[in-house]
Amino acid sequence: MLSPGSSVEGTLELPGAICSIKNTLDPIENTIEQVSDDRFGAVVTFIGTTRNSFQGKVVTKLEYQAYTKLALKTMATIITEARNQTAEFQAVVQHKIGVVGVGEPSIVIAVSSPHRKEAFHTCEFILEEVKRKVQIWKREYYEGEDERQAEWKSNV
Amino acid sequence: MSSTSTSTAHITVLYFAAASTTLGITEEKIPIPEKGFYLSQLKDLLVERHSRDNPSNDNGSGKKGGGGGKKIGEALRKVLDSSQWSVDAEMVDDDEDLTKVELGDGVEVAVICPVSGG
Repeated sequence: MLSPGSSVEGTLELPGAICSIKNTLDPIENTIEQVSDDRFGAVVTFIGTTRNSFQGKVVTKLEYQAYTKLALKTMATIITEARNQTAEFQAVVQHKIGVVGVGEPSIVIAVSSPHRKEAFHTCEFILEEVKRKVQIWKREYYEGEDERQAEWKSNV
Repeated sequence: MSSTSTSTAHITVLYFAAASTTLGITEEKIPIPEKGFYLSQLKDLLVERHSRDNPSNDNGSGKKGGGGGKKIGEALRKVLDSSQWSVDAEMVDDDEDLTKVELGDGVEVAVICPVSGG
């Protein structure tokens, strides 16, 4: 598998948010701990995992690449936009690069906020915007098919 | 048509996803004119560059040379037609006039295929 030199680990911190691209995701308990705040009564987490099938074909794994430098900038923009909607929240967004096997997580988002409505909304907003804009790509591998023919997917 | 050009200006082009799979590389340094080279010209330049038959143009078929170049060039054009660009890690908006985006020495351009994170 070709691995771009720009597809590397990286972290970008903003006030109240940490965005990371990682080879190994942190345990979810650690991520929850990071966003926890005694002022906030709601913590919402989202974990995206690799499904075992697509259009009737058996999926064996996904492979992710990122243009990390730009992906992190885009994540920061998303956090800023979320901040325009909800002033008070803490967020951690982590995306994995490399191989993600079936059932394994590729993305984790944790959001804490004073109340549940904002926490749910902010988590969903960040997720949808990450999928729409962030410079990360996934390649899907199917059982019984030549790996060299595996296609890169599009979220559009 | 080799790279013994006397051009002292170069850009780095980064390839990800389908772009890198099509070409078999993840980045390359391209000589460009020192002045007056615009993003609108880059697609044709890259397609032409990768359309040349050369022994390393094995488009995955196991056959080297002999027509492989043109197929790769066409495949690259198809990828570029559906991709966006970034210049020095800033996206180029869809409504930006590429004939006005000048590329100078040291600039990092990336082919941004439709994304699929999450």
